[in-house]
Amino acid sequence: MAQPTVPSSDIKARLDRAFNPRTVAVVGDKRALGYLWLRSMSTFQGNLYSVQIDPSEIPGIEELGVANYPSLLDIPEEIDYVLCAVPRQISPRIVADCIEKGVGAVTLFTSGFAETETEEGIRLQEEIAETARKAGLLLIGPNCMGIYNRRLGVRHSWEQPAGDAGNVGFISQSGTHCINFSLVGGRHGIRCSKTVSFGNAVILDAADYLEYFADDSETEVIGLYLEGARDTRRFFRVLRETARRKPVVVWKGGVTKAGARAIYSHTAALATAPAIWDAAMRQAGAVQADSLDETIDAVETLVYCRPASGYRMGLVAMTGGQSVVITDAFEREGLEVPLLTAASYEKLSGFFNIIGGSYRNPLDAGGTIGHGFLPQNLARLLDVLDADATVDAIAMEVGAGFLARRMRENPAILDSLLEILSAHRERSRKPFLAIAHPGHLEDVSAMIRSRLLERNIATFTGFQPAAKALRRAIDYWRFREGMD
Amino acid sequence: MSIADVIDRAKTEGRTVLTEIESKQALEETGVPTAAARLARTAEEAVNAAKESGYPAVLKVVSPDVTHKSDVGGVRLDLDSPEAVTAAFAEIIEAVRKHQPDARIDGVAVQKMARPGIEVIIGMSKDPQFGPVLMFGLGGILVEVLKDVAFRIVPLEPRDARQMVREIKGFPVLQGFRGQEPADLEALEKLILKVSAFVEAHPEIEELDLNPVFAYKDGAIAVDARIVVG
Repeated sequence: MAQPTVPSSDIKARLDRAFNPRTVAVVGDKRALGYLWLRSMSTFQGNLYSVQIDPSEIPGIEELGVANYPSLLDIPEEIDYVLCAVPRQISPRIVADCIEKGVGAVTLFTSGFAETETEEGIRLQEEIAETARKAGLLLIGPNCMGIYNRRLGVRHSWEQPAGDAGNVGFISQSGTHCINFSLVGGRHGIRCSKTVSFGNAVILDAADYLEYFADDSETEVIGLYLEGARDTRRFFRVLRETARRKPVVVWKGGVTKAGARAIYSHTAALATAPAIWDAAMRQAGAVQADSLDETIDAVETLVYCRPASGYRMGLVAMTGGQSVVITDAFEREGLEVPLLTAASYEKLSGFFNIIGGSYRNPLDAGGTIGHGFLPQNLARLLDVLDADATVDAIAMEVGAGFLARRMRENPAILDSLLEILSAHRERSRKPFLAIAHPGHLEDVSAMIRSRLLERNIATFTGFQPAAKALRRAIDYWRFREGMD
Repeated sequence: MSIADVIDRAKTEGRTVLTEIESKQALEETGVPTAAARLARTAEEAVNAAKESGYPAVLKVVSPDVTHKSDVGGVRLDLDSPEAVTAAFAEIIEAVRKHQPDARIDGVAVQKMARPGIEVIIGMSKDPQFGPVLMFGLGGILVEVLKDVAFRIVPLEPRDARQMVREIKGFPVLQGFRGQEPADLEALEKLILKVSAFVEAHPEIEELDLNPVFAYKDGAIAVDARIVVG
């Protein structure tokens, strides 16, 4: 597939216009879609227009308070971003209008192209691609959801937050994963700066968006869901350059044989051998993830944790059983749980309750900080781990179930815990992770996790996901420092 | 003869596979140490070549049609005298004629038998998506059965070569397992980087195999080499 005829610096400048639009036009939204697009764009801070020629649809659109025009060309100002939701047969005409109007970029939400493996779908896709390429039109998709800019309220789902800024960019070949990343990620403290769902990638491909996000000052961490790149060598080169500047978490879809078949019918992308793909990702310095949850966990760690270059853990759990399994979980991911220094043991022996507890590392600290909740002991043991030179990172089981029960008697316990952990996080230069299992009190645990995240503490729902995410983050930090 | 000339000549002759001698010439020119081989068309030339490169000698058939030389009886090792070389020359020609009667035979390659080292392989093949990809692994049975190899996309950086060598499960073998001589890791890394630069500079190379490479505690040398051009 040929590259667009515009140079990449020009693409970047024009993508910037589309990602930060002052004007947006939605073409072809209608009642049957539930006004998906106009409702999603209701938070947009600039001027929003609708284009619809069906007279029976126009009153419904105007009821939403959106000005409707029969054609893009009739809109009395320049249009920075177009979302096109017309049926596939009509899309070539809208693409032609976009070219004549000189829009920043157009997203073709419309599907039914090459991914259907039908003659008509393939022909239409080629026709549109050819027209767009000749004119140098920036076309996103087809078969995708396009741009989300949280700050400006340009959305592709009305559930997405808007109005405030974020710092995580997400680039996705799938619309579902793109929306889910912003929504599920939101529950894990991830605020998106901008995201893009780009579907069949006939003109703009993952590498173009990656180049744009690499330079985007709002975006500090990048997530990427990819089924296949048009020009894999270019994608690899851009990824390798970008990862040196910002962490890029890459979630590859279709790595199995049947998965490869599925990606073809989804976005018409070709498969590559897993061993080569894995090697390329390591070489590029990308953080690999295998699911939405893993992607979110890795991004969360990279956003909230201070970077470390060593793998040695200081672990804190609330009971003996949890001390054992938290240790297994971190060791299994290739992290170490070393014995502490003599100085640390001397300090710990001064206050640690060894009846039903132990402090060799892991620290089985329930008896020391849990019973009656002695916040000063928690602060002291975190200080000991922070000062210990054999410890590179700290992970702690918060014991959400235990805490939830205690909070019924004394709600202030949570505030006191948050104060200590937040103070520790501010003071310490080591990554700190909290693990709060949902347990049987899922609602309270969820509340505890969100309160921890509000204090910028990376919080996970299990030992294994936390260990996996931290391992990947440390691998990345070492890569960036040239220590890998 | 330069690499470009070697490739041109092969193309003119309608060949895509360079001979061992051609492959080694091209690699030597790019700074990859090889067990240099000379072409001998007669037994007499073979004896002279062995005298120049030194004993013990190795003779291998040179034929554009033979891919696996030892399978057709085309290799004789550890030849310690002019008499042995003369006999081996005749034996090789006869064996190849018998196993593969239609094979064109240019002669035999004569080289000094390399002192044994840890066998590793370095290869390049083209991935339909990533283009040239380098492979590194231990030689022999480990690479074939266990697929214990590391890959990197060309062009490689020093960190990539460093990681490749350490990434394979058999890495302890390179470190000198149970009192064995360790491999010169730096030399292996340099070799990998030279191969990366070589194939990057010559996109017409479709495949490259250095198999085996002998790794010593001081250096590494490509004992056999095969290059396929497009």
